[in-house]
Amino acid sequence: MSGIAAKLQHQRERAHGIGTNSHAVKYLNQDFESLRNSCLERGRLFEDDSFEALPSSLGFKELGPNSYKVRGITWRRPKEICSDPKFIFENASRTDICQGALGDCWLLAAIASLTLNKQVLSRVVPHDQSFDDHYAGIFHFEFWQFGEWVDVVVDDRLPTKDGELLFVHSAEGSEFWSALLEKAYAKLNGCYEALSGGSTIEGFEDFTGGIAERHELSSADPHLFHTITKALKRGSLLGCSIDITNARDSEAVTYRKLVKGHAYSVTGAEQVEHRGGRVQLIRIRNPWGQVEWNGAWSDNSSEWRYVSDDDRERLSHRSEDGEFWMSFSDFLRQYSRLEICNLTPDALSDEYKKWAESEFEDTWRMGVSAGGCRNYRDTFWMNPQFVIKLEDVDDEPDDGEEGCTFIVGLMQKNKRRRRKMGEDMETVGFAIYELPEEYSGKRQVHLKRDFFLYNCSAARSETFINLREVSNRFNLPPGEYLIIPSTFEPNKNGDFYVRVFSEKPADFQEIDDPVDSHVEEIHIDEDDIGDRFRSLFGQLAGHDVEICVFELQSILNRVVARRDDIKTNGFSLVTCRNMVNLLDKDGSGKLGLVEFKILWTKIEKFLDLYKARDVDKSGCMSTSEMRMAVEDAGFSLNNSLHQIVVARYSDSNLSIDFDNFVCSLIRLESLFQTFKALDKDGNGVIELGFKEWLSLAML
Amino acid sequence: QFVPSDPPPPRRPLAFAEQHESDEEKQFRRVFQQLAGDDMEVSPAELMNILNRIISKHGDLKTDGFSIESCRSMVAVMDSDSTGKLGFHEFKHIWNNIKKWQGVYKSYDTDGSGVIGADELPNAFRAAGFPLNDQLFNMIIRRYSDEEGNMDFDNYIGCLVRLDAMCRAFKTLDKDNNGTIKVNVQEWLQLTMYS
Repeated sequence: MSGIAAKLQHQRERAHGIGTNSHAVKYLNQDFESLRNSCLERGRLFEDDSFEALPSSLGFKELGPNSYKVRGITWRRPKEICSDPKFIFENASRTDICQGALGDCWLLAAIASLTLNKQVLSRVVPHDQSFDDHYAGIFHFEFWQFGEWVDVVVDDRLPTKDGELLFVHSAEGSEFWSALLEKAYAKLNGCYEALSGGSTIEGFEDFTGGIAERHELSSADPHLFHTITKALKRGSLLGCSIDITNARDSEAVTYRKLVKGHAYSVTGAEQVEHRGGRVQLIRIRNPWGQVEWNGAWSDNSSEWRYVSDDDRERLSHRSEDGEFWMSFSDFLRQYSRLEICNLTPDALSDEYKKWAESEFEDTWRMGVSAGGCRNYRDTFWMNPQFVIKLEDVDDEPDDGEEGCTFIVGLMQKNKRRRRKMGEDMETVGFAIYELPEEYSGKRQVHLKRDFFLYNCSAARSETFINLREVSNRFNLPPGEYLIIPSTFEPNKNGDFYVRVFSEKPADFQEIDDPVDSHVEEIHIDEDDIGDRFRSLFGQLAGHDVEICVFELQSILNRVVARRDDIKTNGFSLVTCRNMVNLLDKDGSGKLGLVEFKILWTKIEKFLDLYKARDVDKSGCMSTSEMRMAVEDAGFSLNNSLHQIVVARYSDSNLSIDFDNFVCSLIRLESLFQTFKALDKDGNGVIELGFKEWLSLAML
Repeated sequence: QFVPSDPPPPRRPLAFAEQHESDEEKQFRRVFQQLAGDDMEVSPAELMNILNRIISKHGDLKTDGFSIESCRSMVAVMDSDSTGKLGFHEFKHIWNNIKKWQGVYKSYDTDGSGVIGADELPNAFRAAGFPLNDQLFNMIIRRYSDEEGNMDFDNYIGCLVRLDAMCRAFKTLDKDNNGTIKVNVQEWLQLTMYS
């Protein structure tokens, strides 16, 4: 309940725009403005007690408190390191950043790419801070974390050794934004050591909120050049690298002057006329600011002589700045991988063409919505389902064939379970189905098992993989498509975040069954009750002619104890109280003859239902049997409610016994009844005061 | 005024949590690991075993033991991701509250009977941070006390855990502090079914 309340509030805040870049969530509830002001008022420099200048903030193993590597480390503020520190120089540039003693070159490469796009940089590094005006030893940065922007504050005490910064630092040593950014990112991840060994693609995404795609160049898509050209027009961040086969190769320079195991940026793509043919060229930049490719189309190569003066003027440049051209075909041969981070529309100014973006958070839960992949026919349909409606075809088709381009990204969120690094990821992927005509425009429906038995998928993620995100690009004809994200195996709990970037605006929605109840009311007239039931009631009720909660409990338990076809460990007092509350119309807290007869009829119905749905005759409901039974009983629930029913009423092996079965149905019925009674104007929303809330919820 | 306990603190990365714990917290984490097993999560059945093992050592608390139903309910009101289990933070939260409320229970069991009688109840609840009106007390007595109106230890804890969670839920949803909350049918069911 309080956990659910927090989740609901989070959803409400999201709906109000909190978590967007302009309304970032305050990490650990620390507010930059007010912390800075209070420091200024007190005339003190900020000391962050949530990320202290202590060995424990450095690391746990190699940088752990007892490691020789951390010996002699002192924490210093920039003003104690150099005389005139600057937060950011007018033109932050990729060559300003140098790696320190931490294996976070991936972070460096991501930061370097970031500096190529001023607008994207200014979202991560707010410019309202400096070492001059209002300096109070506090700085803040914004990162994207699983669908929301988080504002992280740090104090400016940085780890140093022998008077120099230990980790990321600027080339000439007086610019500090990159070192402070690294500290903020370390705080977000727990410690500095947690940053070693990540991937550039994760850095890209955490700095931009974009979707990253990975292209293996040995098996490149025939339209890749076109994709790159479009990506550049959209302001995407592009990186490429050459794989290494062993650690010694890292940063080894080939005789063509390309660096292995190193992160490059792709900054341009052009086509030129060359000796009567068209040649595709790609421009690449080495973040070192030096060491350039020396093959065809490099700065001083002869190829440039045979292009038009215009092109030569426009494209060629001959300086040792790390940037160079090469032919696209050489690029495919020399490099192993290209990574494209597609940016969200809000990250870009109007000069760029933008993707349309939509997103959802959801969960897989054992027994309810963790259905596994298509191989698991009985459970696949239980996964959360989404529909995208593609209406307009792309402006510039890749290959003359009309279609709608979109990218689907499925990201799994951190799980709280304690596991060793790398093992906390599930193997995930997704499948895409064309939605048949009959479901067109329908959003209040969850497609069932049979649909997936008789329809094959239109597309799917390339693989199921245990990475943080799996993403793929698709091009399909206009229409409505169902997207089903899943773990590979069923019954794996997980939280995920699914996004679609589409070339043209497209409607993307979660589809699910509506929340409603249509339980038949049972009307019984006193005269309809037969003599046998009357005399039975007489015996049970005793001299007050009413059945109280305690009597009800013993009656029910005597009845179920005699049956061996249903499993139960007996009705609890709470269940009996719920039954009495549901049926006690005169407020006596006890059941009269008619009330008892109605209850009895209900229980007999539940029993029939239970027996009918218990297909495997186990005496219990499995979670999928339960889902059907809940519907038979007259309730329509969506995924999150099915999850709650299972979480609340199933036992540790995910089965639901008879008393819990009855308890959940009675509770559902009374809760629907209460809601309808309170929703007098029928607008679907009820308003409750505190005391009212307590008295209803405590029941 | 009602004083629900503070919500569990925001989750921090594990690497941080392990580095920044006090010795007492480290000790508690070790105990939790033993209790919760490999998945580091506590199910209602595990919670029941833990609680019953502890109260068996306190002769002055009268109880017939925590029932599975009551433990399911306690897990439900605390669980934040509808897995039906409690993680470390939620468990620690419940644990600290139980310790606190146990102290209140003992000091308000004025006649030393081991149970809280109907007349002792209002003061005991007020001391725990929950001053209720008569109507709510009557409701609570109906649900949590025995036929004579006495509340034993397990019912007392079960009741307070729920009450505390309900106050917190209300406070969370009443973001603008105007004293009312608005919920639609799905939210209503999510909140109340899971309690």
